[in-house]
Amino acid sequence: MDNGLKYSSTPDLVQKAKKAKDKFLKRDGEDNSDSGRPESFYPGGIDPLMWEPQELGARRSHLDYFKKHRAARIDHYVIEVNKLIIRLEKLTAFDRVNMESAKIRDIEQSVVPWVNDQDVPFCPDCGTKFSIRNRRHHCRLCGSIMCKKCMQFLTLALANKLTSASREAVALSHSPSQSPGSSRSSRRGSINSVSSISSILEEKVDERIRCCRHCSVTLLRREQQIDEKENVPEIVKLYEKLRQCMEKVDQKAPDYIKKAESLNAGETTYNLEHTTDTRLELQRLYELIDIFSKKILSLGLKDDPKPHPKTVQLQRMIRYASTLFVQEKLLGLMFLPTKEQYEELKKQRKQELEKKLQLERQVRYYLSTSIKSQHASGWLTATNVTWDMENSDPLLQQIENIKHFIQQAQQASRFDEICTLEENLRQLQTEYDDQQTQKAIELSRKQAEEEGLQREQIDRLLLQGQQQKKLSQHLRTRSLDFREVHASPQTSTTTTTQRFDRVKEPDLNTAQNKQRLLSKTQSMRTFHQPTNPTNLASLPTYREMPEANREPQRRVGSLNPFEDDKPGNPFVDEDALNPFCDESSRGSSPAKEFNDKGFSNGMNATNPFEGKEAPSNPFEDENLFLKPDEPQNPFEEPDSTNPFDTDDDLKAEEEIEEELLRQQINNIRAYIFDAKQNGRMDEVELLTENLRELQIVLAEQKCKS
Amino acid sequence: MNVVQAVKEYISKMIEESGPGMKVLLMDKETTSIVSMVYTQSEILQKEVYLFERIDSTNRESMKHLKAICFLRPTKENVELLIQELRCPKYSHFFIYFSNVISKSEVKALAEADEQEVVSEVQEFYGDFIAVSPHVFSLNLIGCAQGRCWDVMQLARTTQGLTSVLLSLKKCPMIRYQHSSDMAKQLAESVKQIITKEYELFDFRRTEVPPLLLIVDRSDDAVTPLLNQWTYQAMVHELLGINNNRIDLSRVPGISRDLKEVVLSAENDEFYANNMYLNFGEIGSNIKNLMEDFQKKKPKSQQKLESISDMKAFVETYPQFKKMSGTVSKHVTVVGELSRLVSERGLMEVSEVEQELACQSDHSSALQNVRRLVVSGRVADLDAVRLVALYALRYQRPNNSNLDGLLEDLSRRGVANRERKMVSALVEYGGKRERRSDLVTPKDAVAITKQFFKGLKGIENVYTQHQPLLQDTLDQLIKGKLRDNLYPYLGPSTLRDRPQDIVVFMIGGATYEEAQTVYNLNRTSPGVRIVLGGTTIHNSRSFLEEVGAGSLHGRVGERPPSMGRPATRR
Repeated sequence: MDNGLKYSSTPDLVQKAKKAKDKFLKRDGEDNSDSGRPESFYPGGIDPLMWEPQELGARRSHLDYFKKHRAARIDHYVIEVNKLIIRLEKLTAFDRVNMESAKIRDIEQSVVPWVNDQDVPFCPDCGTKFSIRNRRHHCRLCGSIMCKKCMQFLTLALANKLTSASREAVALSHSPSQSPGSSRSSRRGSINSVSSISSILEEKVDERIRCCRHCSVTLLRREQQIDEKENVPEIVKLYEKLRQCMEKVDQKAPDYIKKAESLNAGETTYNLEHTTDTRLELQRLYELIDIFSKKILSLGLKDDPKPHPKTVQLQRMIRYASTLFVQEKLLGLMFLPTKEQYEELKKQRKQELEKKLQLERQVRYYLSTSIKSQHASGWLTATNVTWDMENSDPLLQQIENIKHFIQQAQQASRFDEICTLEENLRQLQTEYDDQQTQKAIELSRKQAEEEGLQREQIDRLLLQGQQQKKLSQHLRTRSLDFREVHASPQTSTTTTTQRFDRVKEPDLNTAQNKQRLLSKTQSMRTFHQPTNPTNLASLPTYREMPEANREPQRRVGSLNPFEDDKPGNPFVDEDALNPFCDESSRGSSPAKEFNDKGFSNGMNATNPFEGKEAPSNPFEDENLFLKPDEPQNPFEEPDSTNPFDTDDDLKAEEEIEEELLRQQINNIRAYIFDAKQNGRMDEVELLTENLRELQIVLAEQKCKS
Repeated sequence: MNVVQAVKEYISKMIEESGPGMKVLLMDKETTSIVSMVYTQSEILQKEVYLFERIDSTNRESMKHLKAICFLRPTKENVELLIQELRCPKYSHFFIYFSNVISKSEVKALAEADEQEVVSEVQEFYGDFIAVSPHVFSLNLIGCAQGRCWDVMQLARTTQGLTSVLLSLKKCPMIRYQHSSDMAKQLAESVKQIITKEYELFDFRRTEVPPLLLIVDRSDDAVTPLLNQWTYQAMVHELLGINNNRIDLSRVPGISRDLKEVVLSAENDEFYANNMYLNFGEIGSNIKNLMEDFQKKKPKSQQKLESISDMKAFVETYPQFKKMSGTVSKHVTVVGELSRLVSERGLMEVSEVEQELACQSDHSSALQNVRRLVVSGRVADLDAVRLVALYALRYQRPNNSNLDGLLEDLSRRGVANRERKMVSALVEYGGKRERRSDLVTPKDAVAITKQFFKGLKGIENVYTQHQPLLQDTLDQLIKGKLRDNLYPYLGPSTLRDRPQDIVVFMIGGATYEEAQTVYNLNRTSPGVRIVLGGTTIHNSRSFLEEVGAGSLHGRVGERPPSMGRPATRR
């Protein structure tokens, strides 16, 4: 299973690295090679790149129409309330207690004319007949008649409250500069206490105003409105404070996190003490949020009667939301180092940077030695190797990329990213090493045969010496061209065409079926590594074919740009990437210089200056065997005048199949677990059989190669 | 063209318009589902909405320090309830949003009830549908047909739902409908009527290629909802049932209390989003990877996760992980239950025969296999009925003695008479008589290997050979080859270019298999955006229910009242 796991995790790593790459290079959308990937990498139903963000849909407002109709209604209502309040004011303007009742009645009747008793034989509310026992009563506010049961009373306190509130409103509207809060709140307190105590307990009949139900309801609603306007419940006050704290946190937290990250990384951009203060302040805010939300939660819980369940729910939800808020924001609030730690961190950072530099150097060394050794043994060119490293092996490319990102991340001081990237790098390298070892073993078998063939080839090449001398000159520039292709993908098409134009003039005739095989492998390969620029190159190649075909030539190898590098070839030393002649080629190719400076480690790796000559690397030999096995290189192909060419291609196919087979095996293994778990033994058997078959196929393929 | 986002935008806008302060969201039964599909509680809490209330709840307390956001369907009942609410308002301000067109007279009635001037906003926000996925919506209507005709109320609701989708996406489409279906034509006309009537609303910025609304009928493809599914979302719906993203696990043996009901939403569950369209085998290994990742983070633990029960144990033994692994334990439980059901009901075997029925044309072998399973005791009654129904749909011919034999086998199994009637009901619903096209397109049997996992391209998985008819229809539509006589345009004008924005609506309910099909089409056809809708999202159980209900109605009320074209309710 271990083996399987490693394989299944590789695409993830690649994907992660891709994401990181995109992040760093701020690329968007141009990496459309992803379309060939499994769907699992995109969240949700829709490829977010494909569809633009959804804007707010259509809507229609009825507010104007609504307001128009409401206004008419409201006017009516307001007039009615005002009328009642004015009458109420008149009714309470005199001293009720010490006045004769007849006089009171006169005044009351002057406020509003009473309805004639004779006109109303029945109580309009409950319909009972008026008699001597069931006497008529008049509403003092509207003058209407009702029975005793239907009659209601307004307390004087309430009347006072209503009239004074409206007087205040008038006063306020006349002098807006007057501070409303103070006068209002003091008065409200007194009124409240009066209305609650005096009205209920010790009231005489005379201190109340008779009124009908309709007037009473209207006035009580008015009272409620006044209360609401003036009375801010405790929960609202606390809630406002809570929100203020949250807003402050929202302002300060991002800033703090940025600083703390930088400090924890041992950088010296920000002041440690200053940041510590910010941290304390934030902590205080969190404590406040906690305190306020707890207070809100416990509001009224001890009261009797218990608050309404909905109130409790509201309080609980506010508390919950605050907890979520604190959790979310506090998690990101990292600790700051102490002073000593900070010094330590600074040192560490230095060391780490050095270490990384060293590591890079090692890698370069590792790569450059392998190039050199190949060059020495000479059956594959250095150019070829470079090309391979940069493009063909997805793992290698990935490794290079990741290294590049790490560098960039270091520059950008994004240390968490560096960590993940380094982790990725380690895994990729192990993966790659394993792969290389395997390939090396396979190849060692073939080497003996091939050596014989090479000798043959060398002889042929010697014959063509003169012709190739010219060509090699071309080719050197060409190989440099190709580097440019990397620098700017747009130029790649033109470059490749150019390359093929040149290739066309001399009888460059890659045997057609070989080409076909090649492009097949290429397309297969793209399945794994869609970004591979090989695609670009392969297209023109394919187009060239008919012409190339017209002059069928046996000598495919003659035009191989990389063949120059063969050990038997007298012009070897002129190769641009040969470490021994680098000085001269450098001088002649500014493009390369540019690349070396501006480009990733992949480039640097081929830089002969980096490489140490001592070929002590134990992997050297393996690498040496590996390279010819990289079948994606279109330029390698002409190299294949040797009969193994087709083999190479075939192997490429097999190799890919191998990978798929492994995936398949993996999946089936996972499924067997499941089946076992659930006791579906028949399935287990079936699957095991499948598994065995696949394993046999895999083994066979390995043997073949 | 993202329906989830469209609804979300509406809700966010409502909350935004109400300003700062504590808020309560006042909804009805349907809008509650609509909102819960796109927002989670914690998400909406962050926007200061602390209470969620039903307008018809009698248990609401007066809380004048709260603002009320009312999101309601414009039904008579809701308007009446709202009028009562405004007469004695329980909250300080009311922001009223109707999910569809409301009449002037109702607005006036509301205005007259608002004596205390508590209403601050009255608007129409057209979120009148259930957004299932960014490209899938549903109306949660079951039993929209009586026989072959619309139920009047359902037609009105469907029209409202469909027009609100168009409005929320700001599309004023051309309409095509399935010629063989009267219901499709009726719905098309009903939608067109609304578009004409509310032409001001549908006055959107013109695009080069006008959007297209395609209305099709489930009865044209009765096979798809009968098949067992093997991709995650579809499988969960088929075996456990998804109801507004919620899954009821209370029947799972030994389930813990907090997992009795779980929510599967691609909006806030990354694992689900990444795996909803992968097949069962892939999910298994993905879950395993996920668990191993967790394990890696805890270096001390040495134990191996060999099985799903090991995984469960693992989750429980590390409480500090429990918080983080809420998602994981949820998915482990769901997948564990799925695999239990699969083995208990022998669904692999059943599915293989189903796929053979649906995609190949070897009558005798199919018959043999169906008979073998129907007789076998391992297969559940429901599955047996489905197999016979599929057989009946596939090899439909007069006086098929084989079918009679199978039905006899069913009754010998003890399958109730009512269930057996389903077979004939289904044939009546989706049989050849009603179909314009061949239901199944036989495929090259050689290309199909018996591999469960799609490893190599081009080689199909034996359990997922079937492609829904919709795939074919949409494919032709995208290519501009969908025939006008089978899917005519409503009105004189036709589309000259290939369509780009497509809303396809399936009367009688869509399926998650079709949702996946549309998802894949969206991914593979650049420039084309398809949204799939249905009166509901079916699994085989709900589909049989729908068919059963429809056929019963048809028989009881001879001539259903909805024969004539009903006036659309606003």
